[in-house]
Amino acid sequence: MNVHDLKSARPQPLPPKPRNPMPVWVAATLAMLWLIVWDLEISFETLAYGVEDMAEYFSRYGQPDFTDLSRYLYLMGITLATALWGTVFALLVAFFLAPLAARNFTPNTVTYRIAREMLNFMRAMPDLLLALIFVAALGLGPMPGALALGVHTAGFLGKFFAESLERVDKGVCEGVASTGANFAQMVMYAGWPSILREALGYVLYILDRNVRMASVLGLVGAGGIGLALHDTLRLFDYGQSAALILVILATILIIDYASAWLRGRLG
Amino acid sequence: MSAISIQSVSKRFPNGFEALKGIDAEIRSGSFTVVLGPSGAGKSTLLRLMNGLETPTTGMVRIDGEIVDRRKVRHIRSRVAMVFQQFNLVDRLSVVTNVLTGRLAHRSWVGSVFYLFRQEDLGIAREALCRVGLIDKAWSRADKLSGGQQQRVGIARALAQRPKVILADEPVASLDPVSSEEIMTLLREICDRDGITVVVNLHQVDLARRFADRIIGMNGGRIVFDGKPEEMTQSVLRTIYQREGIEDDTSLDMALAYA
Repeated sequence: MNVHDLKSARPQPLPPKPRNPMPVWVAATLAMLWLIVWDLEISFETLAYGVEDMAEYFSRYGQPDFTDLSRYLYLMGITLATALWGTVFALLVAFFLAPLAARNFTPNTVTYRIAREMLNFMRAMPDLLLALIFVAALGLGPMPGALALGVHTAGFLGKFFAESLERVDKGVCEGVASTGANFAQMVMYAGWPSILREALGYVLYILDRNVRMASVLGLVGAGGIGLALHDTLRLFDYGQSAALILVILATILIIDYASAWLRGRLG
Repeated sequence: MSAISIQSVSKRFPNGFEALKGIDAEIRSGSFTVVLGPSGAGKSTLLRLMNGLETPTTGMVRIDGEIVDRRKVRHIRSRVAMVFQQFNLVDRLSVVTNVLTGRLAHRSWVGSVFYLFRQEDLGIAREALCRVGLIDKAWSRADKLSGGQQQRVGIARALAQRPKVILADEPVASLDPVSSEEIMTLLREICDRDGITVVVNLHQVDLARRFADRIIGMNGGRIVFDGKPEEMTQSVLRTIYQREGIEDDTSLDMALAYA
């Protein structure tokens, strides 16, 4: 614009307000929620009457039995190891797949699509289902659990990494590319150093999640404390079950705080 | 022999914008050329074509007689270094590692992906850092440095490539006047002492006059002036910076009054 135009600018009316579709969306969402309640015959009355029964059931867990605590801790250790190995496996897979699945680093669209679809596939397979398959194939124990966690979370970690890599400043990429660096060098110099902090945060988050999931995976036979909980629940041994649940809860809380603290320190 | 040869190059971006409309130019080996022009004139695009960061829609760019194309781009880039307005260093790596990235194209990826460099490359990096006066900052993180210092690291990275050509895209646009002076002096000295061909995009007319052997003026994707700094008169500046569709441009008059 010329300076003359600026000086002669007269006050003008405000342009018409753009249409806001928000109320329509809110109304549609509420209508859909109501339809679901109606269709599934969800009854809040039953819920209200059931409170008493639930209270009675939970009261059976009132006296946790810690006589076998050392065994529980050992089992918890196995569960933690399962989660750790699952995370390491996921990290390894994601480390190699993520650069191929990042639009700005991938050598060509074919590898991009293949890597993306592999990550999508791994992410789409629920780890509970994977654990069932691996337990059937490899037998009971922590190994199928670690594998199941690894495959499923590799999909997540790979996607997180790929998206972080896609956010790497275009200038930084060009800076390294302009020296004539090849694909592997681009990834190692422009890619990973730029997202290191974010990536560590994601790994901690996945580890945290895998500890929680590894406890559950025991229920389908993938070893560790979950398997023990499965057994005591089937024997209606409420005291031991309560103790096991408390050990799991305490561990998850500790891991949760520890990883939050670590991620905070990473900034 | 000309280091860079641009033959009827045009560039149209996917969004339809025609950045370059038929450019022909020869840039002599060992010369210091400044490209002047308003924002959007196509200066950056022209420079980026010489390093293969963009590919021309028609025409071709040759570096030392070799055509810049996709297949040979890494080979070309190893000899055509680039310095950027925003420095484009890897923030989280040390200064010396940033300089060592200049050696990547000269080495196989096996050692370099593990950040292992030969003694010879470390020597080259040290030399480059001494040259820009930042040897004491070698192990600082790149983002801890000031703008002027970061740009000097950018130049050290370019030097570490042992290039034939250094392209600098608005190297001083984000710097204060003193740092700008330092950077321009450094580039000029590299051109004179090492015989490296330097092409610089600039916004500052006075810097162009003082440092260039030759000035190329661009406007609207075309070359509108090509000559020695002393041939660049006020009327030439008007053609370089004139804006389409504006007859009486007071802003242009005011801007050029002190140029």
